[in-house]
Amino acid sequence: MSLADPGLDADAIEELYARGVTDGLPVVPPTRGRVERTIAASGRGPDELIGLVPPNYGRATVEKIAVNAVMAGCRPEYLPVVLAAVEAVCDDAFDLHGVSATTNAPAPLVIVNGPLRGELDINCGAGVFGSGWRANATIGRALRLVCVNVGGARPGEVSMSTLAHPGRYTYCIGEREEASPWESLAVEHGFAPGDSTVAVLAADAPLGVYDQRSRTPEDLLATLAASLAVVAHHKMTHWGDTLLVLSPEHVRIPGDAGWTKAEVRRWLWERLQRPVRELLPGRDGGEGLPEHVLRKFPDPARDDSPIAKFRSPDNIKILVAGGTAGRFSAIVPGWTFSKGSALVFRPIRTP
Amino acid sequence: MSEYLDPTAPVAVPRKTARRPSSLDGLVVTLLDISKAKGDHLLDRIEELLRERARPKAIVRKKKPTFARPAPEPLRAEIVGGTGVLIEALAD
Repeated sequence: MSLADPGLDADAIEELYARGVTDGLPVVPPTRGRVERTIAASGRGPDELIGLVPPNYGRATVEKIAVNAVMAGCRPEYLPVVLAAVEAVCDDAFDLHGVSATTNAPAPLVIVNGPLRGELDINCGAGVFGSGWRANATIGRALRLVCVNVGGARPGEVSMSTLAHPGRYTYCIGEREEASPWESLAVEHGFAPGDSTVAVLAADAPLGVYDQRSRTPEDLLATLAASLAVVAHHKMTHWGDTLLVLSPEHVRIPGDAGWTKAEVRRWLWERLQRPVRELLPGRDGGEGLPEHVLRKFPDPARDDSPIAKFRSPDNIKILVAGGTAGRFSAIVPGWTFSKGSALVFRPIRTP
Repeated sequence: MSEYLDPTAPVAVPRKTARRPSSLDGLVVTLLDISKAKGDHLLDRIEELLRERARPKAIVRKKKPTFARPAPEPLRAEIVGGTGVLIEALAD
């Protein structure tokens, strides 16, 4: 279906904004020529169905995704990454219906692993969550436009987030695999080092963690654990996938000491347990353990049974990114209630 | 004149709002708790008011496993097949 309107030729940028198909910023007008060049670069057919995008379950064909990718400013060679990201968010495990409609704030964070990071100049280094890299800026933006234009997640209509966050404009990073002492996030999840992949996490905004003085794993991890403890709410428990982004300087501390990623995860998970008596609603805030959990303890106010912040050590996802200077890391809280969204991977298919 | 392509897509299954009844008398009313904190408080009160002010055939209580996802298909089928009116509580 084509858009035919004299207003489009007169001022396509203004007309597309008026039609409610943008994110509020000017978009690149999706002319047939631009869209066809983008589809051609993917080596896929225009009518191939990639997924049905919740909550409206609109049909995301290669062509429909390419139209949105062009509008987002993607170069044609980025399209395979966008296709993989759309496929990932349409996986039931991601729960895009909830992510798009909730009053909470999540946005899909796209994480890229593998050789394509270099080929497409996807930023993994200094300012990784910030501006300045076309691939990061436009791949994340294209996914947002697909969620709105194909999935129906219009802010204030279907997407009812109370606050949202700036990651709803774009949210895309690469892992700085070369600065990591460990296997990458993708390899950890079963992919080969030569595979290029996307992972999507329903994520709140990154929370910076400053620690310039720690020099031992135990000191640094204690800092990180204290910041992880406040994800969602300081008494929220049984939480799911959440991302810890370690900077190159930070990751060297456990790496040089010979710690594995699994050991770091286990240490944090064990540290992030609190006794029932500290998790009661009304003590340090109205939130707390839900009634059905409290009923399991005869005297919760005196009960020392440990309750874990995260459901398992594997829910603490770790990758390395950022500039080589600076002892700063970031926590990217997942929107990962029990039975809710989880980190989802897809391989990127290039022609 | 340039040709522009449409970024939007038709929905897979078009949906429309169900017709609203003029009265609750004689209807089965389902109260759906979406599993948000204190949703049951709200529905308890609505149930009291319905019993005071209307004459439904029955009031049925159902609960979604989680607010974070749509109701599972079997639950939806159960509600569609067995109820005249659905009231869903958001709460918080």
